[in-house]
Amino acid sequence: MLPLSLLNAAQNKPMLVELKNGETFNGHLVNCDNFMNITLREVYQTNTEGDRFWKLKECYIRGSTIKYLRVPDTLLDAVKEEQNRARDAGRGARGAFVSGNRGRGAPSRGGRGGRGGPMRGGRGRGRGV
Amino acid sequence: MSSLQGYVDRRVLLILQDGRVIVFPASKPNANPQGVMVGFDQKSNVVLSDSKERIYSIDAGVEEAPLGLYLVKGDMIVLIGELDDAVDQAVDLGTIHAEPIPPIRY
Repeated sequence: MLPLSLLNAAQNKPMLVELKNGETFNGHLVNCDNFMNITLREVYQTNTEGDRFWKLKECYIRGSTIKYLRVPDTLLDAVKEEQNRARDAGRGARGAFVSGNRGRGAPSRGGRGGRGGPMRGGRGRGRGV
Repeated sequence: MSSLQGYVDRRVLLILQDGRVIVFPASKPNANPQGVMVGFDQKSNVVLSDSKERIYSIDAGVEEAPLGLYLVKGDMIVLIGELDDAVDQAVDLGTIHAEPIPPIRY
């Protein structure tokens, strides 16, 4: 599972962010991007020593300053489930595409082409890497 | 190309630039795939489930602080290593006294 898919799934969830300088931010994730830049709302900030606190309505944190994020344990299962669903859906959709679209651009050879015939594998998913 | 793929779903130990040691220990032998690295990306950011921090000190045994689901930025990581379950569990952490790893200073 990609770290960023976990982060994306954490939207509107509470999280703790520690910066490289040791400051921490507790809040709900509003948004994030691929640099791991994030915005939080209803934030409690602590200084490096952990003895001073600030309350912020909202804040933006540059991704490169982050040391780590701590997210709710339940998120892991949620993301795994979501990925399984997406994979199954993707499989279904691709299957439909292959059988339903044979006509388009393919040599007109008895319409649908028999299973495992020479057409099979002709128009696949690109060449892969 | 070197890859972290081989560490996925394994118990690993992480050392960070600030000297912290994070592990993903299955607290009981044969406990399910808990406490493992669940993912990583190009930048070596890693996701760890059920992680714990091992806090070393001279005048007390090793303390394990539960951290839970953790996303660590690749920038901060010094080392990732696979834990040998058998060896790790044979160690009584409470009896180990050690200097904590100092943070990197620039």
